[in-house]
Amino acid sequence: MQDTLTALVAKAQPEFAALTTRPEFEAAKARYVGPNGELTALMKQMGTVPKEQRPALGKLINETKTRLQSLLDAALAQIEAAELQAQLGPAVDATLPAPDIGPGTYHPLTLVREEMCRILRKVGFTVADGPEVETEYYCFDALNTPADHPARDAQDTFYLPATAKFANVSKHNPEEKYLLRTHTSSVQIRTMLKGEPPIRIVSPGRVYRRDTTDATHSANFHQLECLYVDKNVTVRDLKALLDYIFASLLGKETKTRFRPHYFGYTEPSFEVDLTATHLPKVKKPWIEIGGCGMVDPTVFADVGYDPEVWSGYAFGMGLERLAMLLYGIDDIRYFYQNDVRFLKQFA
Amino acid sequence: MKISLNWLRDYVALDASHDEISRAITFLGFEVEQVIRTGAPKLSHVVVGEVLVRDKHPNADKLSVCTVNLGDALGVKTIVCGAQNYQVGDRVPVALPGAILPGNFEIKQSKIRGQSSDGMMCSAKELGISEDAAGLLILADRPALGAAINDVLPPGDTVFDIEITPNRPDALSHLGIARELAAWFKLPLLYPQEIFRGAIDETVGSALRRDLLTSVRVDCPEDCPLYTAHIISGIKIGPSPAWLQARLTAVGLRPINNVVDVGNYVMLETGQPLHAFDARKLGGAHIIVRRAVAGEKLTTLDGKERVLTPEMLVIADATKPLVIAGIMGGVDSGVSPDTTDLVLECAFFKRQSVRATGKRLGLSSDSSYRYERGVDVHSSLEAAYRAIDLIIATAGGNVVGPAFRVGSAIPWQREIVVTHDYITEKLGFDIPAAEMRAAFEALEFTITREEPTAHPTRGPAWTVGIPSWRDDLDRPIDLVEEVLRLYGTEKIPPAVVSSPGLLADDDPLVVFNRRVTDYLVGHDFHECVNYTLRPAKEIAAWVSASAAQELALANPFVEDQSHLRPTLVTGLLESLKLNQSRGLGVTRLCETGRIFLERDGQNVECASVGFIIAEPIAQRTWLKSNRTPTEDLFAAKHHVAALAGAAGIDFGRQPLVPSAAPFFGWQEGHSAAAGNIAHGWTARFGLLNLAMVKSLGIEGKVYAGVFAILPEKITGDASRRRYADFSLLPAALRDIALVVDATTPSSEVQKTLAKLARAAVGNAFALESVSAFDVYAGPGVPEGKKSLAFSLVFRSSERTLTDDEVNAVFQKVQDEVGKTTAWLLRK
Repeated sequence: MQDTLTALVAKAQPEFAALTTRPEFEAAKARYVGPNGELTALMKQMGTVPKEQRPALGKLINETKTRLQSLLDAALAQIEAAELQAQLGPAVDATLPAPDIGPGTYHPLTLVREEMCRILRKVGFTVADGPEVETEYYCFDALNTPADHPARDAQDTFYLPATAKFANVSKHNPEEKYLLRTHTSSVQIRTMLKGEPPIRIVSPGRVYRRDTTDATHSANFHQLECLYVDKNVTVRDLKALLDYIFASLLGKETKTRFRPHYFGYTEPSFEVDLTATHLPKVKKPWIEIGGCGMVDPTVFADVGYDPEVWSGYAFGMGLERLAMLLYGIDDIRYFYQNDVRFLKQFA
Repeated sequence: MKISLNWLRDYVALDASHDEISRAITFLGFEVEQVIRTGAPKLSHVVVGEVLVRDKHPNADKLSVCTVNLGDALGVKTIVCGAQNYQVGDRVPVALPGAILPGNFEIKQSKIRGQSSDGMMCSAKELGISEDAAGLLILADRPALGAAINDVLPPGDTVFDIEITPNRPDALSHLGIARELAAWFKLPLLYPQEIFRGAIDETVGSALRRDLLTSVRVDCPEDCPLYTAHIISGIKIGPSPAWLQARLTAVGLRPINNVVDVGNYVMLETGQPLHAFDARKLGGAHIIVRRAVAGEKLTTLDGKERVLTPEMLVIADATKPLVIAGIMGGVDSGVSPDTTDLVLECAFFKRQSVRATGKRLGLSSDSSYRYERGVDVHSSLEAAYRAIDLIIATAGGNVVGPAFRVGSAIPWQREIVVTHDYITEKLGFDIPAAEMRAAFEALEFTITREEPTAHPTRGPAWTVGIPSWRDDLDRPIDLVEEVLRLYGTEKIPPAVVSSPGLLADDDPLVVFNRRVTDYLVGHDFHECVNYTLRPAKEIAAWVSASAAQELALANPFVEDQSHLRPTLVTGLLESLKLNQSRGLGVTRLCETGRIFLERDGQNVECASVGFIIAEPIAQRTWLKSNRTPTEDLFAAKHHVAALAGAAGIDFGRQPLVPSAAPFFGWQEGHSAAAGNIAHGWTARFGLLNLAMVKSLGIEGKVYAGVFAILPEKITGDASRRRYADFSLLPAALRDIALVVDATTPSSEVQKTLAKLARAAVGNAFALESVSAFDVYAGPGVPEGKKSLAFSLVFRSSERTLTDDEVNAVFQKVQDEVGKTTAWLLRK
C-alpha cells in the first residue's frame, strides 16, 4: 500500500506541473482527489485493511492527500500567474510620448493677477469687483475729474449711446451717460458708497481706452488697484506697502521710488518706479510701474466719509505691463492672440 | 515741453551737472522724457588747422596725406585723411594726440598704411555736433589757426524734454521751471528786468495812435476778462538776432522774424501767449473781442479755412474776424515783411472757452495749450512789457500811447493756514519746521504769519500766501505735497506694512471665476483672454438684430471693435482659428469674462465662463485615435453642469430646452439651453453650427458650452448642507422599455415614470432613482419612434424588499403608463 501511495505521488507530480489551463487543472484534480479519483479509490480500500494497520495507513493516506493538495495549489498558482500575464500583454515602452491634449494652462494675466492678490491678501486686502460698463459719475465725477477734463473726451473714452440702458449698472444721476470704464478706480467709489470704513480692497479688472492697438497699447487691458481707508493713514504707509508688494513679487533686493505726479483723485500723488535689472530684457535702472497717492479729501467728501476723520491711499498699475516685465514679453498683443505656444509657457 | 539749459541759466545760476538737473526736475514732479544735447561738447586738443598740401596716400587709393598748418604755436603736421569734401586752403577742426572725442575715442600718434599721422581732421559727427558724417567740417568763416575749437564753434546746449502735468500750467515756461530748480538747489531766482513799464511819452505819436487803433471793445468779458493792446510804431521786420534764433531752435521752434520770434520767446519765457497784428491791416482801426457770427470764415495761419460758430470767441476788426481768440491768428492780419506798425495783444481768455473752441475746430497751438491749462492773468502785463522791450531791441520803433486796457484782473489773494503737525501727520514722518518753512519760501510763497499751536511740544501754524501762478493750491493737503516735493520723495523712510486681520472676504464673483478657471484648467483647457469689443457682423451671428443694435458703442475707434460681446464663444473660435492656421494642435480653450446680454430692450452686464472643444485636426500620434477620449455634446453638458454648480446651481434639476430650430451660432438638434437671464442665469451647450464654423475657416466640429450669470446673483453665503441618512439594505431593480415618438425628450419620459413610480410606491418604501440606460431606434421599432429603456431603483431604509411587493409596484407603474400615456411598453 505504501508503495502504491508513493507511486501515486510520483505519477501526479509531473502531470500537475505540466498543467496550463483551468479545465486541465479541474480534470487532473478529479483524476486524483475527485470522488472517482485514484486516491479516493485507495481510501475506499481502507476497510479491507486489518484493524491494527489502519492508524498507520490512515496517517500515510493523509500525508499523501496533503502532498497532492500542495502540488495542486502550486499548479493553480502557476496557472493564475499565467492568466494575469496574458492580461498584461507584452511590456510597454513607457518612453513613448503621452498624447498631447494636456495639461490645461492658466493665462499669464491670471497668474500675475492671482499672485498679486495673494501678496496683498497677506496684508489684509480682499478682492473687490465692479462693472465694466460704468457711468460718468463713478468713473470721473466721484474721482474729482472736472467736466472738461481731456480724459473724458469721446476721443479717449468709449461711450454707449445716450439711449442705452443697463438694468444692473446703477446710475448716480439719471442724465449721466454710460461708458466703458477707463480705470478700475470706479470700483473704489462703488465700494466706498456701499460700505463703511475701514476698507482695504484690491480691485483687478478690465479697462478700456480708445487707443490704437500696437505693441504697447490695446483697446482693452487690465489694471489692478488697491485702496486703503482708515484713520491716520500716511504717505509712509503707502511707501511701505509698495516696498512690500514688489519685494514679495520680485525679490528682497527690489527697490521702489516715488516721483511726485498729479492725479485728480489723490493728493499728494506719485508715480512709482522700481528696480528690476535682474529681470529679462530690463535695461533701465528704474522702471515705471504704476501711480499712487493719498486719497484726495474731495473724494472722501463725495462718498460721505468725513475727510477730517478718514484718510487713505490708493495705488494702481497695469497688469499687462507687469506681466510683460516679469516674463520679458515684448508685445501686448500676444496676451490677446492666445497662441498655445505662448499660453503653454507660463503654466 | 522743451526746456533749454542755457535759457534757464538766465534766471538761475545752475552749475549742477545735467544728470543732477535732470534728477531735480524728475523729483520736483516733472517727468524728463528725453535729454537732448546740441552743439559741441567740451573738447581739448582740438584746434583749427588749414590744409596746405593734399597728396594721395602711396598705399591706399581712398586716403590722402595732408600737410596741415596749425599756426605758429603748434606748427605744421602731417595727417592722413579719408574724407573727400575739402580742398587745399580749407580750414578744418584737427584733433591732436591726447584729444578724446565723443564715444571715448582717444586720438594717438599713429601709422596708417605705413604713413605716420599726427592726428585726425574731423567731421561734425566726430566732434559730436551733429549727425553729419559726410565729410570734414569746413570752417567757412576761417577762424584763427590753432584756436581751440570750443572758442570757434557756437556753444552747445542741453535741452530737457519735460512732461508737465495738467495741474501745473505755471511750469509751461522757462521761468516756471527755473523757479522750481531755484527752490530745489536753494539758489536765487532772477526775473528779467523790463525797461518799458507802461510809461508812454504822450508827446510822441498820440495822433498816430488814433489813426492806427481808435478803439478796443470786449463784448464777452465773461470769456475775456482782460484785454490789453499796445501800439508800437516804426518797427522794421527782419530776422531775429542769432541768440534769439538759437534759443528758439534749441526748443524746437522755427525762427520766422523778429516780431513773431519775440512773441514766441516771451511765451516760452513767461507762459503768457501774445499776438501781434499789423496795425495797418485793422479794418476801421477797431479791435472787437466778440463771438463769431454763424458761418463766418477765417483762414488760419496753418492755411486752413475755418468755418466759425457763435460759441467761438474771435478778435475782429470793424468788419471781419482776424484771430480765433487764444488759439490761432488769421493769415491776413499778421505781421508781414513790410509791417511798420504793430498792435501787440496781451490778453486773458477763459480756459473753458478756448478748450471748447479748439475741440470743435480740431485745432490747437502752443497758445491754446497754455490757455486751456490756465494762464496767470496777474502776470500778463509783465509779459507784455517784456515783449515790448525785446521788439524795440530787435525791430526798433516806439510805443505810442496810451495803451488800451479793457477789463481788469480779479484781485488775487489766497492764504492757506497749515500746521507743522498736520503735515507730519499726513506724511507719517517728521520734517523739521524750519525746513518746511524754507520750502514754502523757496517756492515764493509768503509766510504772512507764524504762530505756535495750542500744544506746546508741537510745531507752529503758518499762514501761507499763495502766489497767483499757483492756482492749483488751495487746501492744507496741497501744501503737504509741496513740502514733500522739496524735501525729496526719495527720503521717505521705510516702514513695515501694518496689516490688521481680514475684515472681509473676496467678492463672490472673484471666487466663482477662480473656481471655474481651476475646474477648466484642471480638465486640460487652455485659458484664453480675448477682446470685449467685437465687430458688428459677428454679433449678428449670435443675437437678434435688435439686440446687436443695443450692444453698439456710440464712438467705436475701429470698425472691427464696435460692439460689446454677447458671448465668449466668438473670441474662442478666433483663438482656435489662429492656432489651426499656425498648424498648432489645439482642442480645448476656455475663458472667463464679462458679456453683455439684451433683455427686454435693456442690457445687462453678466459674468460668463465659456469653453470650446474642437476635433483634433491632422494630429499624428503613435497612439491609435480610438484611444483619445471621445468628445461630444455630453462632454460639453458635463462641463456646463460643473460650471453652473460653481455658482450654486443644481444643473441636473434644471429643465433643458433642446434647440430644435436654428438658433444663431448653435446647431439645431445638437444643442440645448437652460436657464433664462431674466431669472439670473443662462447656459447653453452642444455642437456649434457646422456651416458657421466652416465659414470662419475652422476645420472640424466644435462643441461649446457657455454659462452666464448676473454678478449680483452670485452670493458667497451658501447654506450649510445637512447630512441625510442612507440605507445599507439592498436595492431592488426593475427595467422598463417604452416606445415613444422620436422627438420626445427622454427627460419628459423620465419625469413621468418617476411620478408614476412614486405614486405606486406610496409610503411603503422609496423610489430611489429612474435613469435611462438605453436608447434604440431600428428594426422592431416603428418608423418615427424610439425605444427608451429606464432602470427603476427601489429601496427601503428598514427592510430588504421582497420580490412580491416590488413586482406589485412595478405592475402598477406599467398599468399606469398604459392608462395615462400614449407610450407603448416594449416587451
